Amino acid sequence: MRMTGNALLEQYKTGPGLWDEMCNNGVIRPEYRHIAQTLTESLVESLHYKDRLAGELFMNQGITFTVYSDDEGIERIFPFDIIPRIITGKEWDKVELGIKQRIKALNLFLKDIYSERQILNDKIVPAELIASCPEYTREVFGIRPAHDIYVHISGIDLIRSESGQFYILEDNLRTPSGVSYMLENREVTKRIFPGLLGANNVRMVSNYPLILHQNLLALAPRHVSNPTVVLLTPGVFNSAYYEHTFLARQMGIPLVEARDLMVMNHRVYMKTTQGLQLVHVIYRRVDDIFLDPLSFKSDSILGVPGLISAYRKGNVALVNAPGNGVADDKAVYAYVPSMIRYYLNEEPILPNVPTYQLIDQGARDYVFHNINNMVIKKTNQSGGYGMLMGNKTTDEEVELFKHEVEKDPRNFIAQPIIKLSTVPCFIDGQLKSRHVDLRPYALCGPNGIDIVPGGLTRVALREGSLVVNSSQGGGSKDTWVVDLNLNEE
Amino acid sequence: MLSRVADSLYWLDRYMERTDAMIRVLRTNYVLSFDDSLNTPSSSRQLLNIFGYLSEEKLQELEKDNTATMRFLITDVSNPNSLRAIIAKARENARGAQDHITKEVWEQVNQVYHQVNDPSMEKRLEAETLKVIDQLTEYITLYYGVTASTMPRGNGWNLMNTGKFIERCLLTIDIARQHLGVIEYKLDETRDILYWRNLLLSLSGYELHLKTYRTRNHDWNVVDQVLFNPNFTRSVRYSLQKIKGYLTKIVEHNNPEGKELLWNQFGRMLSRIEYADMEQVKHEKLEEFLRHTRNDMVNFHLLLGKSFFSYH
Repeated sequence: MRMTGNALLEQYKTGPGLWDEMCNNGVIRPEYRHIAQTLTESLVESLHYKDRLAGELFMNQGITFTVYSDDEGIERIFPFDIIPRIITGKEWDKVELGIKQRIKALNLFLKDIYSERQILNDKIVPAELIASCPEYTREVFGIRPAHDIYVHISGIDLIRSESGQFYILEDNLRTPSGVSYMLENREVTKRIFPGLLGANNVRMVSNYPLILHQNLLALAPRHVSNPTVVLLTPGVFNSAYYEHTFLARQMGIPLVEARDLMVMNHRVYMKTTQGLQLVHVIYRRVDDIFLDPLSFKSDSILGVPGLISAYRKGNVALVNAPGNGVADDKAVYAYVPSMIRYYLNEEPILPNVPTYQLIDQGARDYVFHNINNMVIKKTNQSGGYGMLMGNKTTDEEVELFKHEVEKDPRNFIAQPIIKLSTVPCFIDGQLKSRHVDLRPYALCGPNGIDIVPGGLTRVALREGSLVVNSSQGGGSKDTWVVDLNLNEE
Repeated sequence: MLSRVADSLYWLDRYMERTDAMIRVLRTNYVLSFDDSLNTPSSSRQLLNIFGYLSEEKLQELEKDNTATMRFLITDVSNPNSLRAIIAKARENARGAQDHITKEVWEQVNQVYHQVNDPSMEKRLEAETLKVIDQLTEYITLYYGVTASTMPRGNGWNLMNTGKFIERCLLTIDIARQHLGVIEYKLDETRDILYWRNLLLSLSGYELHLKTYRTRNHDWNVVDQVLFNPNFTRSVRYSLQKIKGYLTKIVEHNNPEGKELLWNQFGRMLSRIEYADMEQVKHEKLEEFLRHTRNDMVNFHLLLGKSFFSYH
């Protein structure tokens, strides 16, 4: 007998004490009713087919990364789960307000920290914390970017705790990636579940590249009527190269590499078949450190010599502004709620995860005493690296980490382990609950902050794992923000 | 357009044209290898000479084994001219110029790439060689169709086509030279048209030959078709005419420094073919005529690179 989705739903188990996004004590939440209905009416074979089709669509579009083994490159897709993750419009509206508030404060912080430094003088943020931050970029001190915008594009990582409360886990203010997956996931969902998006009143995400393009055009010097905007990529071997090409194509702007650009008389030019052409705005996907060998890493071949001098003169806009790393340092993160109070005179709408600065002896003792409930993170690492999950480690590893922390406590923070919320995933022909986070993308331009509804849901596909990073066995899902009818709520 | 992107588009179509030619030559040789009367060791040898740089020892080893030859030419990554390697290069160029080709073109290149890199490819190649070759032919044909129907007719399109016809011209000369070399360019003996079937099928010109040429002087008729026939899409003359059209637009659009030099070089080459006749070829000796034409084309390619692709 062929198995139907109904049996799948009946067999779906959620973890004890966890917030499951689809089920509340065995009852399907209203926002999941339509998708649950579709699953009930589907045969497992048809879900397998949809799963395969999604994989083929990603593969044929070249949305892949290369795994090297035995000197041979094998193309793999980033795992995609076909069941969408759903958030209600009401929940989303609060998240949106919270992120806007946070970006506003972080922008003001960056402006302050690279000019007056009032927040340090007023001792809201300790000066030694900034002085010891490797991402604080003295080379850009005093530079005022157009419209005082530093964080043009950000990816704010959110998690949902056992009670369903959203927390800010991390701010990504440098060159956040993944937005192309958000957009492509939606396109794939349209193919595999045609009709479902309309029936669910799902909010649209596809205008992201248009808003970004408008914002980039607005950053050009005012006297230029038809500015040249380019996207600077490290090149075809970069793991996010697909995203760079995707965004350049969606915005209709040239995708350039450092070797295509040159600086002459503090102006940036690109080398074209018609000669040199002036460039006004650069959306760069190259890290600060590689951006200009004359200012930063001198042996960088991914950068353009003299770029920072052109930026300082105001002849070219750089997006995001160099030096933003100081605001998304994991140790500075703990002070963002204070920044919101200081600059905006408001209470934070979205809370931080409680964070312990391990430079403080008392905090260190507390963390190591309660290590089973703690995660320790290096302040300057991301991607799920440089992390110790206290509940999944050995005594030797703890000792080793302890030693590292004692050597350089400024470089570590600790947070209580929060059991991320779970969602149903179609794995091995069954519905299994897996942990997820959420990365909405915010675009900041002269007309304000825009956040496309939803964002990228990253899912830890390994059973029980809380690490959602793609480099560590993570995948992604389409994220729907649905507006429920009054009688559905 | 960025010089780097122009370079990538030019090479994308050069590699795709090479892939197309290679598949056709492989198919022709594979099918004809079953025909006893034509099954001479030299056909595999010609194939390996056109698409590989091998020692005499390796040539002798491979030419006796049809499957090994196929594997070497299609999937062997140690051969820089294998189909797999060429398609990988085409894809790298497409990746580098992804924002200048349409999504459809990119997906088509990508599909060919995944097809030839499929882990089951080697096994399938042994079990169902012709089917695999036909599938690849289908993908390449789709590439050309999708490119023609979706690419905007701008600088990128013109550069792609210039690359395509330069490659086509060079390949026609190379394939012809291999076949003519076997008979040491002696064209005054009477040969059956079946003798030329391999060359003509490899260039998709067999049917046209039968319809066009009525005299029984097949040897020189074949040379005429390959070099001068204006209706034969793989003749040297046809390729040059197409390049002329695209080059005119490229120069108009970009107005590069040294455009006179470029035109002079191209004009000389075109005139040499347009105003030549068979008497001229006989006088100059066919081998020398082909060698000279090939060198002219290589020099033109270098000059083109200098004008549009070199970084200032």
